[in-house]
Amino acid sequence: MRKRSIWGKVYICVLVLGFVSSLAFLIDRTAMAQPKTVKVGNILPLSGPSASVGQQNKYAQDMAIEEINAAGGIKSLGGAKITLLYADSEGKPEKGVAEAERLINTEKVHVLTGCWNSAVTYPTTAVAERYGIPFIVPVSVADKITEQGFKTVFRIAAKDSWWTRDQFVFLSDLQKEFNMKIGTLAFVYENGDWGKGFAGGWKKLAEKGGYKVVLDEPYPSTATDMSPLVQKIKRANPDVLLLVSNAADAILITNTMADYKVKPKAIIASGGGHADPSFLKAAGKNARYIFDIVEWETDVNKPGAKEANEKFKSKYGYNLAGESVDGYVAMYVLADALERAKSLDPKAIRDTLAKTKLTKGPGMIVGYDAVEFDETGQNKYAALVMVQINDIGKGMERISVWPKGARRAGYKPVFPIP
Amino acid sequence: MIFILEDTINGILMGSIYGLTALGLTVIFGVLKVINFAHGSMLMVGMYAAYWAVVLTGLHPYLALVLVVPVMFLFGYFLQDILIKPIFKSEREVREPITVIIVTTGVWYVLDNLTLLIFGPQYRNIQDNPLRGKMLEMGGMLISMPKLWGFFTAILTALAVYWFLQKTRMGRAIRATSLDRDAASLMGINQYRVYNIAFGIGTAAAGIAGATLVPFYNVFPSVGVLFDIKGFIIVVLGGLGSISGAILGGMIIGVIESVGAQFMAATWTEGIVYALFLLVLFVKPSGLFGMRYDW
Repeated sequence: MRKRSIWGKVYICVLVLGFVSSLAFLIDRTAMAQPKTVKVGNILPLSGPSASVGQQNKYAQDMAIEEINAAGGIKSLGGAKITLLYADSEGKPEKGVAEAERLINTEKVHVLTGCWNSAVTYPTTAVAERYGIPFIVPVSVADKITEQGFKTVFRIAAKDSWWTRDQFVFLSDLQKEFNMKIGTLAFVYENGDWGKGFAGGWKKLAEKGGYKVVLDEPYPSTATDMSPLVQKIKRANPDVLLLVSNAADAILITNTMADYKVKPKAIIASGGGHADPSFLKAAGKNARYIFDIVEWETDVNKPGAKEANEKFKSKYGYNLAGESVDGYVAMYVLADALERAKSLDPKAIRDTLAKTKLTKGPGMIVGYDAVEFDETGQNKYAALVMVQINDIGKGMERISVWPKGARRAGYKPVFPIP
Repeated sequence: MIFILEDTINGILMGSIYGLTALGLTVIFGVLKVINFAHGSMLMVGMYAAYWAVVLTGLHPYLALVLVVPVMFLFGYFLQDILIKPIFKSEREVREPITVIIVTTGVWYVLDNLTLLIFGPQYRNIQDNPLRGKMLEMGGMLISMPKLWGFFTAILTALAVYWFLQKTRMGRAIRATSLDRDAASLMGINQYRVYNIAFGIGTAAAGIAGATLVPFYNVFPSVGVLFDIKGFIIVVLGGLGSISGAILGGMIIGVIESVGAQFMAATWTEGIVYALFLLVLFVKPSGLFGMRYDW
């Protein structure tokens, strides 16, 4: 009796399962007739120490996708809409990798993008490569990300080595413009992949340029007290201080330097924390005269740039940061590739992405002229802008100073720091 | 040589503040025998409480303590009463209830993410407060005023908690419960009320630490995590449950960080701190100032 009743239950189960699956099949068929959606997996640090910048990136990408979908989606795919599926990396490489696996296998995304932190992007692109899913990297700048010989990785931002190259070109231009010699440099950088990448470039360039390095100091971004570090800078007494910092430590170093009255002739930062909008609010007047190298600035002279920034500001309460612009542009690069691919096959999307030649249209608000990828997937035209933080009557703001062609009309950079 | 003195002073000042952040952790552990993983989040809540108290009322950061301490005490009291007590009751037979640790981990995640949701991820600090950026110049040395205030606050708070535990009736009840909760119950002590109060005191201490940090530190949702790890190391170093141990343990770490950084890259001082931590665990597992038995 007992046995039979169990078999009876199994039988009912099988029946129910069969019914449900045939129903699911039917629903699936009807869904096929609807316009398709393009699923884009977006891995960002939405909590943890990089949450602030991760959120900024999310806002910018949301805004771009909203605009693209409102303008009729991807027309060659019957007006397909793009949806962003967010995953939180917490800034941890292992989380990024796990989320990429999940997005590809469970959510069946067509394209991946992210992950802001280079340390997360680096292993995560390997997952995408294994599955053949195209991976658009808006901001992670570590050189090695596009130097793995991968076919599916496309980076919008200029890579690390280009940043340091431009910082040193700026340094020599500065000496020419003000006719003043800079002899000694101090390198202070966060001890992750990103900071170490910068420091490696600096060392080579300093040697080539004949500068003397008086301090070479990696520090943990999670440090709770920056005064030992600031004391070290003070005692090394460099002409120019070069920094790579995340937001919390950038604020802390800037304020602590003001406390200890440390004043090198110039401070040159490397975007990241110094470009975070909350840096200006939290460091206030202590941030005055800092030079910062970035991809983009709100006063950049490009059609649509001002409008996009105003829209972003009214929506989210912040100016667009350079990294947010890369995120924003990345979505337009994706839309452009999808339009030409006429397919949701990841391979087709990859092939059209590789042939991208975006020069104008909405979304092209970057400071340089075109987005075009070389064979490693790096955007070859990406270039950088140097800004100075200063108050010229409208509160602390970031003012483009270099290259000279991009300098805001009527502004003369302040050097050395008075 | 003056710079070593300057760095040592800075290390002691900052270290005493680390000790203050760990004080609540050690009090809660001493009584409940539970590692409170949410302690960093309590500190974060304390910092936000102090931040908003100062921003909204324009009070001196230390006057804001009048608001922060009772609010944080009640917060801790009811957190224990509503969330943790039921689990304690169902785990009555165990000396060190593991499930409570898991609950505190849950509280940590909920608090951090709730703050992220409400206040957003941005970094805040109080631009115009009377302590910000003030330095004391003394014989060629620069000493941070907000840290000096923090140092005195840490010492005073530790003394106050010590006095309370040694001299008051409630303090005796807390110590009795910490020694043997069953015997204390037999003597007519309501152990759950003692837990509530101990948790309240621990949380209020985190609130005080938050208020001392606000004049010179950033406030953001995951700020607790940075101090949390330090807090655990300090508490183990100084001896779990020892109040003076927490402050002294904090100072040791502060001095290593501050003086050590002058002779090596700042990254390596963290290595020294962890090595010392392991050494203490090997040689004297009860901590440098801990007793073999609790209180």
